[in-house]
Amino acid sequence: MMTVSDAIDRGRAIADAPVLMHAAGLAKRYGDQHALADISFAVKSGEVLGLIGPNGAGKTTLLEAIAGLVPVDGGDVLWRGSSLPLSRRREHIFYLPDGLRPWEDQFVARVLRFFAAAYGRPESFVAETIAALGLAPVLRKRVLALSKGFGRRLMLALAFITPHPLLLMDEPFDGFDLRQTREIMGVIRDVARNGRTLVLAIHQLGDAERVCDRFVLLADGRVRGVGTLAALRAQTGQAGLEEVFLALT
Amino acid sequence: MLSGRALWTMLLILCPLVGFSFFQAASLYSEASAAARDQPVLASGLSPLDGVLVPTFGAFYVAVTLLFPFVAIRALGREKETGALRLLVQLPYRISTLIGAKMMAIAVAWLIALIPALSAMAIWALLGGHFHAPETLNLLLGQLLYGLLVGAIALFAAAISESSATAAIITLAVTIGSWVLDFALAGQPGALQWIAALSLTQVLHTFEQGLLSAGLLLGILAAICGFAALAATWLHPGTPLRAKLVRSAVGVAIVAAVLVAATQIRLSTDLAEDRRNSFPAADQRALAGLRAPLLIIVRLAPEDPRYIDLRRNVLSKLERVMPHTAIRLAAAGQSVLGSTSDESYGEIEYSYGGKTAKTRSTSHREALPLLYGLAGQPIPTPIPGEDYPGFPLVTGAARALPWFFGALPLLIIVAWWWSRRAPAIPQGFVKGLIKDGGQP
Repeated sequence: MMTVSDAIDRGRAIADAPVLMHAAGLAKRYGDQHALADISFAVKSGEVLGLIGPNGAGKTTLLEAIAGLVPVDGGDVLWRGSSLPLSRRREHIFYLPDGLRPWEDQFVARVLRFFAAAYGRPESFVAETIAALGLAPVLRKRVLALSKGFGRRLMLALAFITPHPLLLMDEPFDGFDLRQTREIMGVIRDVARNGRTLVLAIHQLGDAERVCDRFVLLADGRVRGVGTLAALRAQTGQAGLEEVFLALT
Repeated sequence: MLSGRALWTMLLILCPLVGFSFFQAASLYSEASAAARDQPVLASGLSPLDGVLVPTFGAFYVAVTLLFPFVAIRALGREKETGALRLLVQLPYRISTLIGAKMMAIAVAWLIALIPALSAMAIWALLGGHFHAPETLNLLLGQLLYGLLVGAIALFAAAISESSATAAIITLAVTIGSWVLDFALAGQPGALQWIAALSLTQVLHTFEQGLLSAGLLLGILAAICGFAALAATWLHPGTPLRAKLVRSAVGVAIVAAVLVAATQIRLSTDLAEDRRNSFPAADQRALAGLRAPLLIIVRLAPEDPRYIDLRRNVLSKLERVMPHTAIRLAAAGQSVLGSTSDESYGEIEYSYGGKTAKTRSTSHREALPLLYGLAGQPIPTPIPGEDYPGFPLVTGAARALPWFFGALPLLIIVAWWWSRRAPAIPQGFVKGLIKDGGQP
């Protein structure tokens, strides 16, 4: 976990960092229902941004729209100020969906090796990721046989193996108990410290408060607030993220 | 695919299917060969292609039609069902590369599924059976193309379906629908004949007759590439529906144009050892020298058995050897029953070099002398020794049954078990494990 001085230093560094990705007016309709309505926000290089909202707020749709995995009805994604076409999103952005258990018949080691080979990552890097996420005991297990927690660790490992500067993760702490969640938060912090940017969709506000630098509050497909916890507190006059969220939505 | 059960299950089912077909075919061939020992003239009718290979591969064809879709759908269907597709499309590969890799995997799966049929061929050779390499390879090529076509359809079905079950229903509707087309519409006149020609099973008939047709080859390859391209078009979940529809329409138009062009290509090679798709060699040479356009007007309904005989015995052979042959069906709109009162019904009119002659025979023995007469050429002298001798073989095929019903299934189960072993962990990963204190 970060100390107070670490957090202050990090806050300053992020405030000065350039905007990496900008979601500009993203809109998505399913029939008459607006899943996303004119969503705009920016992510700065090296920050951990939390997409906060209840179930059905549009977090997953928003991440998929940014990654180019769902067609949108309007809006654009800008990368360092320039429009990022659908065909080039995967060059810069990697999206880790929630509740995924891919290639169930394969062994964990084989899945990791496949991903590492696809992205040309050295075995030493994969080994570090395995060690960081504690995947060693299950390398020779099939994906199907993994517990929910190890399944989630494997998915995180796949995301960390990719070289993309921006990682979008949907509910990265789902399936972990309190101790494991804190451990994974540490890993995510390390990843961000090494220069990667993360956007995490989280519905547990307590988890979000501990790991994210800034927040985008979503409800009913609309942005209800954007900023650091301090800024949101100042805006609403509330103390915690839960109270801030309730005040804004 | 090897890690799933579908391919292994198909292999296990193929063992008795192919084995029994081979046993029956070889037994019947053996009985016919025994009869030919007493009457040598019967030997010329004994071709291993018709007698053994085609029936043995018939069982393989049934399995490819009914079971292979489940194997091929697995190449994509599981990824769609588990959501892994969203990871797959983010990999640093083009969608066309991904679909190409899936098609390669399907081709490898087809090769593995071929093992029982290949072992039947090996047993036939061990029993002393005869093979003619060109016609055998041609048959294998036909089976491969048919397998790839079914695989490409399955891949497309998987790309547009949310579940493997739906994809299987779509694929089987096409493959089994082809059978219906083949049985119900074959020999029917007009548009029905054209629809019947779209049957997938038609793909194999030409290869089973020992004919390698450039037009057919181009048509099948276009269809395979077309379905694979459609699968690539519909694979990415982020592509808007309108873009998918427009790209699909363009792709279908291109494939349709290639298919139409393919029907105009008459280039083909008769690879059958008994030269069943060609006239006798002397006639072939003489006819190849006739360069003027030949018009044949046939007054027969397309479903008339005499027309089918004429097509097989004369017309298709003439089209191959004389590229400037035009065939017109004067009774195309009539049925057999409705035409019996027409006195000219049944006539076949040959026009060459400004002269015309008529006959009602559907045999080349009468048609060719007529044609030589029109061209003012003498009837060529038959070349001695060109007759197909036939390859009779009296053998006990029952000896092969333990292989197909015992040894081969056992070997497949062992290979299945072996493929399910945990893999060795890469050396670099092991270093990480030691650092982490885990066990490799």
